[in-house]
Amino acid sequence: MQRLRDVLRRLSPRRGADSGDRELRADGSEQTDRLRGSSELRSDGGVATAEETPTETGRWQSLLSSDFVQSIPFWLPPFLLMGFFVYGAIGWNLVISLTDFEGLLLPEYTVSEFDLEMYRRALSDPSFWTAAQNTLVLLVAFTAVCLLFGLLLAILVDQEIRFENTLRTIYLLPMSLSFVVTAKFWAWMYNPQIGMINVTLRQLGLDFLTLQWISNPDTKLAAVIFALIWQFSGYAMVVYLAGLRAIPTAHYEAAKVDGASTAKMYWRVILPQLRASTMSAAVVLMVFALKAFDFLYVMFGNNPGPAADILATMMFREAFGSNNWAYGSAIAIVLFGMALAVVAPYLYSEYRRGEL
Amino acid sequence: MTDANEGSDVSRRDYLKVAGAGTIGVTGLAGCMGGGGDSEGTTTDSGSDETTESSDGDSDSTTEEDSNYETLEVQHWWTGGDGAKAAEALFAGFEEAHPDIEVNQNPVAGGGGQNLKTVIKKRVLNNNPPSTWQAWPGAHLQPFVEADKLKDIGDSVWSKNGMKDAYLEGPKDAAKPDGKFVTVPINIHRLNNLFYNKKVVEEAGVDPSSIEKPSDLTAAMKKVEENTDAVGMANQTKSAWSTAQLWAQVLLGEHGTETYRAFTEGKVEANKEAVKNSLSIVKEYTEYFNDDAGSISWTEANKKVINGEAAFFHQGDWAAGMYRGQDGFEFESEWGQVPFPGTQGVYALNMDSFPMPKNNPSPEAAKKFLQYVGSVDAQERFNPKKGSIPPRTDVPKDKFGPFLSRQMDDFANSDVQVKSIQHGLAIPPGAKSNFGDAMSTFTSGWNVDKTYKQLKQAFN
Repeated sequence: MQRLRDVLRRLSPRRGADSGDRELRADGSEQTDRLRGSSELRSDGGVATAEETPTETGRWQSLLSSDFVQSIPFWLPPFLLMGFFVYGAIGWNLVISLTDFEGLLLPEYTVSEFDLEMYRRALSDPSFWTAAQNTLVLLVAFTAVCLLFGLLLAILVDQEIRFENTLRTIYLLPMSLSFVVTAKFWAWMYNPQIGMINVTLRQLGLDFLTLQWISNPDTKLAAVIFALIWQFSGYAMVVYLAGLRAIPTAHYEAAKVDGASTAKMYWRVILPQLRASTMSAAVVLMVFALKAFDFLYVMFGNNPGPAADILATMMFREAFGSNNWAYGSAIAIVLFGMALAVVAPYLYSEYRRGEL
Repeated sequence: MTDANEGSDVSRRDYLKVAGAGTIGVTGLAGCMGGGGDSEGTTTDSGSDETTESSDGDSDSTTEEDSNYETLEVQHWWTGGDGAKAAEALFAGFEEAHPDIEVNQNPVAGGGGQNLKTVIKKRVLNNNPPSTWQAWPGAHLQPFVEADKLKDIGDSVWSKNGMKDAYLEGPKDAAKPDGKFVTVPINIHRLNNLFYNKKVVEEAGVDPSSIEKPSDLTAAMKKVEENTDAVGMANQTKSAWSTAQLWAQVLLGEHGTETYRAFTEGKVEANKEAVKNSLSIVKEYTEYFNDDAGSISWTEANKKVINGEAAFFHQGDWAAGMYRGQDGFEFESEWGQVPFPGTQGVYALNMDSFPMPKNNPSPEAAKKFLQYVGSVDAQERFNPKKGSIPPRTDVPKDKFGPFLSRQMDDFANSDVQVKSIQHGLAIPPGAKSNFGDAMSTFTSGWNVDKTYKQLKQAFN
């Protein structure tokens, strides 16, 4: 991590220069600049009329004609709908997690009785910790390997090979399948007797590697993570490919002229420029990892067992299996907190870079 | 250019800040509203609107028996296979008996009833239940009774049709989770079965009916594996429920009804030896399971019995439905069934029932329906198709085929009927979920001590 930061710091002045000569050289970007200019012209016109009105009719009309008011029909309805149905539901969930809602009687929402008992209960519940640990392992391992694999694929596909589009489609296709489908057929592939994986291993004479993939607690989570990586590394590849295509050829050429080896070129010149791609792909992948519920539910039912239980399955079980609504809500809030912890730094960094 | 750009940028970022603040505001607001608001407005179930509307008008005029009935809304999860056919027969029969009652079947598919249970909980919480629904009786209904959501139908339904005489003690007990009749069982699936492939056991020289105890089954399976190519027992361990069922039968067979009952009452520690011993027996069984038990479903496991790849199979008697559907695989000649070793004279019950909710949208129609469910006619139509037996003991056997007829005899002559643990009849949902956790721990690693510890805590 520290090393990475050093590399980035060393690169930062050069990065400034990069962006400078990108504007000069790349025809495409110049054109977009021109396009952006023209759209600004139009918006400038709007502002100009807005400036004229107050001198004639006063502040009320200036308010009416301001961008904010005029744009209300466009952003307010979705804003309210989202606010109520998404964030309102999250808020309500938070409220429920503070009550002792259990069984089939609605809770009394007395503010004085709100407490954090459900969170305390979670902290002292060993199965919560198992699930949290599994969730974290899934999150980190899945995201890291997915990114790495996606990057490798992207670099390979970027070598102006033949059938590039076909390959790209093939790699991306698994992502278009639903979790339900992939869970079903990975369950078949992991079948220790007739499953494709063990059959292949046996064909290769690697009998000692034929395991009971999804029933052995040691390999269960790994097997799940592997299947998920298979499904989503194509997505990482596409994001990286877009990132690679945005890097001008001159950078590769310059690196080669300076005598950099291929590995060094990618490590020092190309990878640092893929920071934005990595960020956005990582965020999406992590959120997918938190939502792996469908996959586990289809594969194992509502209880995947301690080896592969994640917070999402545990929450479902507590709330809808045991009627422990408040406890389920508390777990959901923890999960929400984790998702927020993943997304917030990304949003903040985008904000600081002025891209939001 | 840069000026204009910055200007718009600043204002856009201002909006962002405002939006952020606004979001927090709305969240808080909605949270409060959700907290304080009454819940009835928030349900938007398909079909629920209809029922509330119709119930508004008629709730006063229900005293007259012959007046118009409200639409009867019945929710169930019999949406495919044997269940769908059985439900169809049941509702056809009800229509014949009561052509004046309009029935709105509102089935919710999937998840072994898990999805329907979720829907029902939500509707009952909102005091907007359907007229009746498919529910496991017994402890499963305990939360409903505790929340005072079910009506006492001891007089209005159970004293009709001679039901109280025709039902045996076990099912009647399950219909009274808290001492009062609140539900009407329609079918019984037996759980303490041991199915076997006749050819395989004959080839191995094993006589299933001579196995006296669950612990002796191990030796029989060993013999099977020594003398044939088949595995001792087909099972699935991908999800824990089959193994949970199996363990319950082992506990029942090895340690008797009293121990079994004590366990369901939460007396785990007092029966430590019995519980641990029965877990160990199941652990011994695992050596004779098919290798791919961890990645198949119960139907695939059952296929192994049909194909002669496995000798024994434990499952509820719904498994026999697959044998019935298989050509050239006949009862007594190709497959057989004995009560699980050690459980002679016991009938382990897994039932479906129809409870009577309070705040019923169509109380009179629901009453008629439940009376019908408790009748000979309904149970004779439903059960042969479902592959289960009627809880009434006076239903004629002619429509049931040889296997179910024998099960009916076993049932009528049984000394005692115990309630299922895995299917929620014997232990309430909270404990059942913990029990499921413990069993998932068990199936991943077969660690007896760890599982016992979790079972001990399951009832807290």
